[in-house]
Amino acid sequence: MWTYIARRLSQTVIVLLGVTLISFIGLHIGGDPTYLYVSDRATNEEIDQARERLGFDKPLYVQYLTFIGNAAQGDLGRSLKFRRPAIEVVADALPATIELTLFSMAIAIVFAIPLGVLAALRRGTATDGSIMILGMLGQSIPSFWLGIMMIMLFGVQLRWFPISGHVPLLEPLLQGDVRTALTSLPSALYYMVMPSLAVGVYSLSRNARLVRSSMLETLSLDYVRTARAKGLSEFSVVINHALRNAWLPVVTMIGLEFGFLLGGVVVVEIVFSWPGIGRLLFNAINQRDIPLVQACVIVLAGIFVAINLIVDLIYARLDPRVRL
Amino acid sequence: MRQLKYALIVAGAVSGVPYAVLATPSDDTLVVGLSADIDTLDPGEISSRDASNVAEHIFTTLSSISVDGQVTPRLADTYTVSDDGKSLTYHIPPGHTCQDGETLDAEDVAYSFNRAADPANKFTGNTPGFIFTSIDFKDAIAPDPEHVVINVGIKSSMTPGFLTEVFVHCKDSYEKMSLDDATTHPVASGPYQVVDWTPGSEIVLEKRQDPGNFKTIEYRIIPEASTRTAELLTGNVDIITNVSPDQIGAIDNSNVARVEKVQGTRRMYVGFNQSAMFDSPGAMAIKKADVRRALQYAVDVPTICQQLLSIECERATSLVNPPQGNPDLTPYPYDPAMAEKLLDEAGYPRDADGVRFEMTLQAPRGRYLNDANVALAVGQYLSDIGVATNVELMEWSSVYVPLIRKHEAGPMFFLGSGGGLWSALYDMSDLAAVDSGPNYTDWDDPRWFSRWADIEAAKSPEEERTIINEMLKVFHDDGPWLLMYFQPDFYGVSNRIDWTARRDEVVELFDAKLAAK
Amino acid sequence: MLQSHPDGPFVDPAATDVSDTAAALPPRRRGDGWRRAWRSMVRARWPIFALVILGLLVGAAIFGPTISPHDPNRQNIMLRLQPPMVRDSMGHVKFVLGSDGLGRDVLSRLLYGARISLLVGVTAIAIGGSLGVALGLISGYFGGWIDDVIMRLGDIQLAFPFVLMAIMFLVVLGPGVVNLIVVLGIGQWITYARIVRAQTFSLREKEFVEAARALGASHMSIMFVTILPNVIAPLTVIASFNIASVILAEAALSFLGLGVPPSVPTWGSMLAESRDQLIANKWWLAVFPGMAIVLTVLAFNIIGDWLRDFLDPRLKTNG
Repeated sequence: MWTYIARRLSQTVIVLLGVTLISFIGLHIGGDPTYLYVSDRATNEEIDQARERLGFDKPLYVQYLTFIGNAAQGDLGRSLKFRRPAIEVVADALPATIELTLFSMAIAIVFAIPLGVLAALRRGTATDGSIMILGMLGQSIPSFWLGIMMIMLFGVQLRWFPISGHVPLLEPLLQGDVRTALTSLPSALYYMVMPSLAVGVYSLSRNARLVRSSMLETLSLDYVRTARAKGLSEFSVVINHALRNAWLPVVTMIGLEFGFLLGGVVVVEIVFSWPGIGRLLFNAINQRDIPLVQACVIVLAGIFVAINLIVDLIYARLDPRVRL
Repeated sequence: MRQLKYALIVAGAVSGVPYAVLATPSDDTLVVGLSADIDTLDPGEISSRDASNVAEHIFTTLSSISVDGQVTPRLADTYTVSDDGKSLTYHIPPGHTCQDGETLDAEDVAYSFNRAADPANKFTGNTPGFIFTSIDFKDAIAPDPEHVVINVGIKSSMTPGFLTEVFVHCKDSYEKMSLDDATTHPVASGPYQVVDWTPGSEIVLEKRQDPGNFKTIEYRIIPEASTRTAELLTGNVDIITNVSPDQIGAIDNSNVARVEKVQGTRRMYVGFNQSAMFDSPGAMAIKKADVRRALQYAVDVPTICQQLLSIECERATSLVNPPQGNPDLTPYPYDPAMAEKLLDEAGYPRDADGVRFEMTLQAPRGRYLNDANVALAVGQYLSDIGVATNVELMEWSSVYVPLIRKHEAGPMFFLGSGGGLWSALYDMSDLAAVDSGPNYTDWDDPRWFSRWADIEAAKSPEEERTIINEMLKVFHDDGPWLLMYFQPDFYGVSNRIDWTARRDEVVELFDAKLAAK
Repeated sequence: MLQSHPDGPFVDPAATDVSDTAAALPPRRRGDGWRRAWRSMVRARWPIFALVILGLLVGAAIFGPTISPHDPNRQNIMLRLQPPMVRDSMGHVKFVLGSDGLGRDVLSRLLYGARISLLVGVTAIAIGGSLGVALGLISGYFGGWIDDVIMRLGDIQLAFPFVLMAIMFLVVLGPGVVNLIVVLGIGQWITYARIVRAQTFSLREKEFVEAARALGASHMSIMFVTILPNVIAPLTVIASFNIASVILAEAALSFLGLGVPPSVPTWGSMLAESRDQLIANKWWLAVFPGMAIVLTVLAFNIIGDWLRDFLDPRLKTNG
């Protein structure tokens, strides 16, 4: 297993090199970012000076190699816009995104399982039908549109939920301040309801359908029939036998889903003014803040790869057929 | 505050009452919704209008510009200008301190100026990048604790106005801070100090001295326009900037908030780029003053204002804001028949398809009030008189700005240029020389550019005024701008608050107070 | 479970799991396939509904320009934001579905938008699909270092939320239908490549492939003539879901201002333009294009679901 992990980690380095190279080239094709970092009335001479200061005067490969060299030593450079170490800016924004992603994931799983089970048990009835239609719709709505609609309905009209804003949760926790984290937990979750629904409805719908079909499959299996025949209550059959197996596919999806949702939050972060890394990266790309883009890209890709690795390891543990 | 929110939330959750738990900030708190994130609060680095509006409350300045455009005392009570106009001496009365208790005197003022100019700091903010280059700043000296002398290289009546934009701060606190710390941990010299800053989310200021009616000012970053309006309508936010024109009705009809409309000073125009890099028939056409003048008649600016900006406007007559403009000039009327006639005469008749020539109009998206729609509407007006116009909308900072800066936008492009109320010359300085940066159209009419020498030589303000008026006439008749409007600014203001918006995009909150119940 | 997230990485990680499904497929059969398909559709009911929607969509895309009442780009700012079915002083209805912020006819833009949305969806999938199939065949057929390189490339792409890459490239390249199609298309290839690769892997030692090889067929011919027809079926399932997600992705990118130029009406850009108007109760600007997107995506998803069940009875659970 250790050799497997070592091999995966070396692949990770290649992946990181790949994404940084692509984003680096991508941002440089579009022209000279220097103009964004000089004043309106800068003379040509001042622009040249600024270009030199920012390091944009050197050949592209030199710039990239310098960046990689520094990155290898843990220095990801300074954000041009925020004028402080890029990694710090990313670290400020990351917790908010992770909170949102985790909560969306929780919604996508917690609600999906009962809905899916219910639909499977009531197979062919109106309940099943409506859950499945809602599931289909949930997978067909643009998330930003859903977000704006929710703001209009639950924020402005009914006033059930706050429209924008964020109460830090992960940050105090990481700083070891459990007390603050606990006291702000209710309000933090409260603020997260609408944005995480907008992010999570798609996955929720998909998971509900997934649970339903794997539930139907298990319910028809021999051992469930046997359990029934033994006269066990329907509740016991569902909980102890069918469900245990039915949600395995969902569990294996969880890890993948994390990275998957992480990518889906950009638009939602913009709609709900969520101070996360998606919005940060979008702005950084627009501002051609290349060091900041690179830092975001490295951190995001790193998280993606790490989570995939963990998922594979867990999967190998759960499913004896898989050998690493 | 946070505890209170928490208590309310728990109470709301327990009692099951689905009501806005966060509605209405407390009486000593003012909440402002900004459309853009604040990147830095280092006085030398601040460049965006939003950051500067926050900084205005944290840092003091030598003097300030009043609502009506006059230079008024702030930290300094008086100033004198030397005979050659190149050194200004400000008197700083004693008794000021900074947030950390340090005394704030003339030495700190001099330090603030010199720190911003110090090349070692590599600052690119408004102060070193715009103010100092405009006045050719030399240095600042404090001969004694109550006097500071600012030396500049250019004699100009605008210098005291420019100097109001330089933020003053304490020397000792900034000397011992690293540049990284200075970006995020400003040490206040003004009425408010930063107590909490969550990047991308909010900045909380707390009052430490007068002026100011609120103990706490909370700036929240809400980039999406409809979300900002929604927050205002639910009462969570007291003042929002950049209200989208189409949301004005919703706010005004809400009974909880209103929209303050002010005629701003930003000059919106469509530039005719005469750069040699463009040689299409259309680009060649707009190098002729006759054609440019014809196109002025083709665009119905008052209707654009009314329909797309929700405000009545008078069309600009030149690049100078109205009170300082040439009073003899009248705005071009909307007269498409005249436009067609002039274009026929200029040698550009319609062809079989009804097209005179083709044109590309480039415009930013999301930078100015309803910019994309205004540009599209201009394109339609031009197409209507036979100038088949293709409108290209572009992302502002990474695509449009470089084009503009390199004078490669166009051949026609839509742009706004910040203006002032206090001087015609300030507005005219965009076109200070043929090769000056902001002459984005590469215009080179000697009847304009040769006159700058005359202005410098002018003996009296009256003589200067005469020359200005002549220049503005040339600009109106044969200039490189399709004249549009001065951008209005819309602020959403909660009925809980009394606050008057200014014309110059400065959001000053010292006078804001709770409305009488 | 095969769809991609609307705004997320366009490749759903779960999608790569269908290799399993595909392996279980019976060999391709000809003959009464169409009749069986139709019967299965009628039995499942929903696919018929989806077919009707898709029929309308294709109709709108083909005949849109002929039947649309106005030029979709013709502005009339004096008549902006007219609600649907407003009669003028003569009693005529000028804008059946209302007008937008520049006084353009919403109905005409919807009809033209159908064309662009379909064009973007179908072409992007065609590009991504062919690229993916070709690379998957090569990868699976040759194996070795070629396989390694191609699959590592895929890993790099999957290691990053594709929507962010798409944003980056569209910011750089500027908005445009072609740019959009290329970026969205390239986002898809890896899904196809992985499935085709797995299939090819298992097929290349099969007897009929060996037979072709013994007969002296070239690598190209074996890959594209002998193997390809046997791996194509599961791809139709993915393609169907993919079109749905590409349409959603177009909407998301348009929302960010990165979609198509303003002279090209798409549902996504109409929806994006409506966002400032929602709060002012101009509901028709959001509801009609929103419904168009939801129904179209729904239709493709239903078809995808049905196709999967139809092609692999083992998974049939929707009865």
